[in-house]
Amino acid sequence: MNANEQELQILLVEDNPADAEMTMDALRQGHLVNRVQWVKDGAEALDFLFGRGAASAAETRRLRLVLLDLRLPRVSGLEVLRALRADERTRRLPVVVLTSSHEDIDMVRAYDLGANSYMVKPVESEAFMAAVGQLGLYWMLLNRSPGETI
Amino acid sequence: MSDKALEPEVLYDAADTGIIISQVRSEAVLLKAGALQSAIFNSANFSSIATDAKGVIQIFNVGAERMLGYTASEVVNKITPADISDPHEVIARAKALSVELETPIAPGFEALVFKASRGIEDIYELTYIRKDGSRFPAVVSVTALRDEQNAIIGYLLIGTDNTARKQIEAEQQQLDQRLRDHQFYTRSLFEANIDALITTDPSGIITDVNKQMEALTGSTRDELIGAPFKNCFTDPDLAEAAIKKVLGEKQVTNYELTARSRDGKETVVSYNATTFYDRERRLQGVFAAARDVTERIHLDQALNEKNAELEAANKELEAFSYSVSHDLRAPLRAIDGFSRKLVDGYGERFDDEGRRLLQVVRDNAQRMGKLIDDLLVFSRMGRREITLQPLDMDAMVNGVADELRAAEPQRAIEFAFSPLPRAWGDAAMMRQVWVNLLGNAVKFTCRRRTAHIEVGGSAEGGELLYWVKDDGAGFDMQYADKLFGVFQRLHRQDEFEGTGVGLAISQRILHRHNGRIWGEGKPDSGATIWFALPLPSPDGHLSGGEAS
Repeated sequence: MNANEQELQILLVEDNPADAEMTMDALRQGHLVNRVQWVKDGAEALDFLFGRGAASAAETRRLRLVLLDLRLPRVSGLEVLRALRADERTRRLPVVVLTSSHEDIDMVRAYDLGANSYMVKPVESEAFMAAVGQLGLYWMLLNRSPGETI
Repeated sequence: MSDKALEPEVLYDAADTGIIISQVRSEAVLLKAGALQSAIFNSANFSSIATDAKGVIQIFNVGAERMLGYTASEVVNKITPADISDPHEVIARAKALSVELETPIAPGFEALVFKASRGIEDIYELTYIRKDGSRFPAVVSVTALRDEQNAIIGYLLIGTDNTARKQIEAEQQQLDQRLRDHQFYTRSLFEANIDALITTDPSGIITDVNKQMEALTGSTRDELIGAPFKNCFTDPDLAEAAIKKVLGEKQVTNYELTARSRDGKETVVSYNATTFYDRERRLQGVFAAARDVTERIHLDQALNEKNAELEAANKELEAFSYSVSHDLRAPLRAIDGFSRKLVDGYGERFDDEGRRLLQVVRDNAQRMGKLIDDLLVFSRMGRREITLQPLDMDAMVNGVADELRAAEPQRAIEFAFSPLPRAWGDAAMMRQVWVNLLGNAVKFTCRRRTAHIEVGGSAEGGELLYWVKDDGAGFDMQYADKLFGVFQRLHRQDEFEGTGVGLAISQRILHRHNGRIWGEGKPDSGATIWFALPLPSPDGHLSGGEAS
């Protein structure tokens, strides 16, 4: 394990601190990632991803997964997704929508904009932990994206 | 006797003396005239009765015999014409003449001939009575017969049978009456109509209107007749186009025009009009009926407003359920998740009661999550579009039953299926109905050592009928009306789990398929839930309502 792999691998875009904490708990429990960056809304996500704020372009390049909530203050999850797909650097970055919404319309829009997966957060905490854990296992260990050097 | 019979004598005359010839000729002339007189007198078409000065019948010709049924010998020298006339008419005539001529006239033969006796031409109608007592109307012409000193020696009464003419007159009268009746009937129909009726000639000039049209235009019938139809409306061009359209297409329906009355009141009317023809199929004009649709337009407007309100309310509801779906779940997840974290991280510091209390918190958070989920399904079932397709109900029921059995492998459940009629409907929705009904049957039989669940169906009474029967906990029929209400439950949570939404969802689905659902039960003796769907029509649509 070299130093780079210790660094940022997952970006979590989530405005609800409780959901964010549980999501990170679940990811850590699986020992799948060493570092999850949590941003609290869409605007912060865009700043982070495209270098307008704290994050650097180098960090963006090392991202392997974005977990994206849809209902976010300021800039919505779908807008973030649209921006991700419009930029050459993040066009193929796996994005998993992680939301409370069961609505067909949200699923359709998310897939139309190029989401790689859509998961409805279970209310029941065991189910939630299991679902996020499986999600991490799949995307971080089994899935392969173009340009990865692992 | 013919002219030819005289000819040889004429030839003879040419060869002999003129005197003889002239004698022969005058005799011949006399003979001829006498023959004619005799023929006239004996004409069967005229009753010729001659009397003496006192009225006693002296001559009674064949016409009289034929018309009156007497032979000449039965009346000559025996009776007067008054005896064969209607006595009431004779009396009435006597009275009338007495007044007219200002002299008393006896009701009898005198009444029949008085005018003639004074040299006044007299032709009158009279009813003759036949020998057999039957009567007929006659027109009688009376002439006084005089000698060379101008003294009256008798009277000649020439009568014709007036029956045929009377009959024609009566028929004519009847026809006139019928025509008047018919006109009255037509007029009444015209006036009784609630619509404003109008007829125009082919050029659009009004030929008739009813009272409603007068009211609509504020003008009288006389003012309207003769005026152009188009003048009654706010848009004369459109009105004229209406007449042209009727003439061109023979009829128009629901043509809307705005009538303007004299005082400026405007009324929106819907016209139905046709052309009309005479017996020879010649175009006579246009018959038009205008219905006041102001009320309907107001209702339409009100309906549109209400629809807009309803749509807004629906949007609001959608936004509400959307936010329920998102925003209510998150805190529940946190309650559950953090309670669990507490147990996981600090479990040793709690005693059993502490852990039980935390479990209660978690159970309730999860239950509320389930309630929200079910409520959302219920709301979605009302909004989702229905996709109709043929449904193999047997396969659907078998599939659902297999799933339910697999979910509870430890249970002994005996399903009994009889063949089900195929239906038309939304596959996902109808499957949801079976999941709910069979799921309930499985749930409410959980106290039975072996559960018995029957599923059946039939096509009867013009609809498709399906039922699910179980031998489970059943329910009290006095609460049957609560079976299908949202969050309505007939059992306690500690008896049977559930949110009370399943049957409400099923009912909503069936309503959207123009179907219905109902239940029968008895506490501890099981329940039967029935549902009915309309028969699919040949073109594969559900009859009536939304789903068609």
